Amino acid sequence: MNDQRFFDLAMKVIARQANDGERTDLDAMLADKPELRAEFMRLEKDTLVAKDVLPLMNAMRETKGELPVYARGRLQTMVRQTLGRPESAAEEPDRRVAWGWRWVLGLAAATAVVVIAALLSIFHAPNAPVIQLAMLDTAGGTRGADTNELATLRETWKGIPVQNFSNASELEAWEKNWPNGDGRPAAKIIYDAAAGEVRVSGRSRGRVFEKTFPVEKDLATTLQQVGVFIREQTKR
Amino acid sequence: MPAGLRACSSSVNLPDLCALKTGDANAWDEAFAWLWPTVFAVAKLKLQPYFPNEVEDVAIESLEQLVEKVSEVKSVEELKPLAASIAHNRAVSLLRKRFAKKRGEGKTDSFDDPQAGGGISQNEPTTGDSPLADLEQKELAQRLGKSLAELKPPMGDILSDFFLHGLRYEEIARSRGVAVGSVGVYLKRGLETMRRIWGREENS
Repeated sequence: MNDQRFFDLAMKVIARQANDGERTDLDAMLADKPELRAEFMRLEKDTLVAKDVLPLMNAMRETKGELPVYARGRLQTMVRQTLGRPESAAEEPDRRVAWGWRWVLGLAAATAVVVIAALLSIFHAPNAPVIQLAMLDTAGGTRGADTNELATLRETWKGIPVQNFSNASELEAWEKNWPNGDGRPAAKIIYDAAAGEVRVSGRSRGRVFEKTFPVEKDLATTLQQVGVFIREQTKR
Repeated sequence: MPAGLRACSSSVNLPDLCALKTGDANAWDEAFAWLWPTVFAVAKLKLQPYFPNEVEDVAIESLEQLVEKVSEVKSVEELKPLAASIAHNRAVSLLRKRFAKKRGEGKTDSFDDPQAGGGISQNEPTTGDSPLADLEQKELAQRLGKSLAELKPPMGDILSDFFLHGLRYEEIARSRGVAVGSVGVYLKRGLETMRRIWGREENS
């Protein structure tokens, strides 16, 4: 018996792709060798398995789609709560404790803050980067700490207006909207209080850069690090 | 991604498992971006026909659950099958819960392959036919990982062409650039591989 021939006919019949001649051939094979009926039934079940498994396998090969902006903070919170901060980031234990309290307070307030100041340069050179700062406050800016954080941002990037966002989708739209800038480098700075971090993304001479800065010591220190990072990325 | 984060990674293009286990935010950003298309696709596969508004939530919850389980993971290659299995089981669990509520009973249908079409396929949830629905999440992850490793191109593509998209041998041969006679050979080997991995006899 030709195994492959039987298999091909069985597959076509199971998939309802067989023509009359192929169905007749399969019937003849089954009549000639009744034990093939069991194999035919196995193939029918295998087909059901394939129809279940293959979509999952295809899903594992999927590469399109971006994590929603709002989900990132939530997931990073989960990481911190479950795994803690990496040792390299925890230079002094008492600092971690202090930050832990701030972090708990921040979570309790359920405030995500993202600060972005629009289209103003922190540098004075003609080719200085365009900086955008924004602040997402899902709690509506009611938390006292927000005011301090806002003041810190304004102090770091003097003269740059700060824009508040109350929901993640607005922020997402803002993040995708890059200034024309006449070829100047540009950077977006986002302070996410709930996630306890400052995110930076930017473009300089056709190159894209991005980095996340956890607020380890205090916001002012972190923002200084952000400033250094942007200068390094845009002077190249 | 800082170069240092890849220090104990075994694969150049994958997140560093050591960094993930220590809670490194950047490593997790990379992992989330890498895994999101998979968990979203799995959740969508299961929930889109019934509860499309739940797809994103289930995908996010799956990644949260993955964070909790990362300490048990031995190699970074396990992450994607694990994420897929978590998303699958969460989606199936949600469907069961919602349908049980609707029906007033805890009926345990399989909701796998809700969108299948064609000869053998069914548009309604089936009972007991799926090898996936009742598998423990860890076992499901292991089998998915094994399937992904063993059904290499073009075998996996040819299986999908035939079983999911309903293409004929000749159409598959044309689109994949293989001989018509080879299509059946690929299908046969592919099904044998799946039969071995999914151990249908034990589960049916």
